[in-house]
Amino acid sequence: MYYPLAEVSCQYKNEKESVMRKLVSVVMLVAMMVVSLGSFVRTASAEDVKITGVITKIEIAADQKSAVAVLKVNDSGELVSIIITDDLTLDKFKDHRIVVGDEIRTKFEKNGDKNTSKFFKKTAGC
Amino acid sequence: MSGRIVAIMLGCALLATTVQAKEHPGKEQILKEGYHGPKTCEECHPGTAKEFLKTVHWKHASKVDNVDNLDPNKEYGMKNRIYTMCNGNDIVNNLKEVPPNALGKTKFVGCNTCHPGDHTIDVGSSGPEAEQSIDCLICHSSKYDYSKRKAVKDKSGRVIMTQDRSTEAAANIGRPGIKNCMICHEGAGGGALIKRGFSMAKNDEVHVTKGIICVDCHQVKNHKFPTGRDPNNWASDGIYMTCVGECHSDKPHKDADYNRHTAKIACQTCHIPRTGGAFSKDFTKWEKQDNGFYEPSTLKREVNQTTPVYAWYNLTVSNTPHFIGPKGSRTDGKSKIYPFKIFQGKAYFNKLDGQLMSMDFAPPIANGDSLAGVASAAKILGIKKYEAVPGWQTIYFASSHQVAPKGKALTCSNCHAINGVLKFEELGYNAREIEKLTNPDLYFEKVLKIQQENE
Repeated sequence: MYYPLAEVSCQYKNEKESVMRKLVSVVMLVAMMVVSLGSFVRTASAEDVKITGVITKIEIAADQKSAVAVLKVNDSGELVSIIITDDLTLDKFKDHRIVVGDEIRTKFEKNGDKNTSKFFKKTAGC
Repeated sequence: MSGRIVAIMLGCALLATTVQAKEHPGKEQILKEGYHGPKTCEECHPGTAKEFLKTVHWKHASKVDNVDNLDPNKEYGMKNRIYTMCNGNDIVNNLKEVPPNALGKTKFVGCNTCHPGDHTIDVGSSGPEAEQSIDCLICHSSKYDYSKRKAVKDKSGRVIMTQDRSTEAAANIGRPGIKNCMICHEGAGGGALIKRGFSMAKNDEVHVTKGIICVDCHQVKNHKFPTGRDPNNWASDGIYMTCVGECHSDKPHKDADYNRHTAKIACQTCHIPRTGGAFSKDFTKWEKQDNGFYEPSTLKREVNQTTPVYAWYNLTVSNTPHFIGPKGSRTDGKSKIYPFKIFQGKAYFNKLDGQLMSMDFAPPIANGDSLAGVASAAKILGIKKYEAVPGWQTIYFASSHQVAPKGKALTCSNCHAINGVLKFEELGYNAREIEKLTNPDLYFEKVLKIQQENE
């Protein structure tokens, strides 16, 4: 069969594009599965924990963008380290509105050994 | 080249002037001689301490001229008011140590914890001792160490409130910043952002986003603060403010239709579309916390989760034992439609006279016994005969902060669409008027244009 050169080139290009499209689709599908699986694993392994305890130590990171507070849990006496990243709580550490010895009610996301604060406030009064 | 050098030099000079303007004069002297409380401030500001003792921030009360059923000759405020957001006040909940709870723990609590004195010289006191007890730096220092302000017992057993009177705090004074104000004002009502439920964070308040701070709007004169007319904020320094002033005119919009609305619609109505915080509390039912203390059960939302309720308000207030809220109507010629956060609180009423009773929080914090709190408050107030029965009180709080960015303000269809936020029938409009007010002809073209601009 005779194909003009331009037509052959065009056909070859179309086949190549088709293969590329399939490849991209497969890669996208795999990527989505990986992301979904990752999210599932993260959801499955992470849990929210609520505790009340007294701060025994506060360490603010050198870049001032995070801190670790160690709480002695009221009920068990266990020491729990919690990472704090929200600006308001960090500011309260810096100007000593929250200090060692304060009793805190906190909710944090426990993901393996990493506890990330979602709520970190002094116990209220009235 | 020489032009660029001149520009740089001018820039540096301007920067230096700005930096210099921010630094309070007298810093060198404070660093050299230390800070000795208000008498140090008085060296440059004579008479200021005495002046401050006459303000609401010190007295926690004032005469009130716009609220029903009050004695015009008496002063009212958090010193002595009883309502269901704060079922106590400075008198019955004077800062004290609560009895030990079941775990043997105790703590200091009191409504006057925020009073800027040292507690030995308390709310509304006067004289030289009171003047020297003022905690000037808690409002004026950007380097105040809040861990130094705490309730403790002194050697004689009195509960006192300590202060940060360090040289470092005193060397960093100036106009109060947002944090200085919010230290007390965000903590009212039993926790962070509980009472009024507005946030002054950069992301939440458009004025703060633009670098405007509290005292830029509440322009203080001789320590007297202008305020709005919140139906539930009775005490004031006697000076009032609105949005209209040096920043906003009474015709602030480019659009004439919007400007026409300002005659009957308060600025806040469109520009503060959300509020938050506590919307209900039950002081008859205290919940045990895992630290062994009890707290009144409270329903609350985040700062942006509550849609306000809209009502006519002529800046006078209906005040009965079961209701505190705005008076006004569409026909009185004085009212505008304002946004409010409605709060409903349950507490004890005296069956013998129908009045709301107060509660000393110390007993219920320790053991959850709310009636013991009522008994203690009655004793403090000299009420000998009462019969405590639970009941609800509804309170309208003004929604006057947390102004939304322009793009999030209410537009025509937010109110004039059939499912709009304004309940026209409740606002006094008849069926024919409502049909007219909710006809899409009113807003269609304008909203379409806005929509097209944003797409």
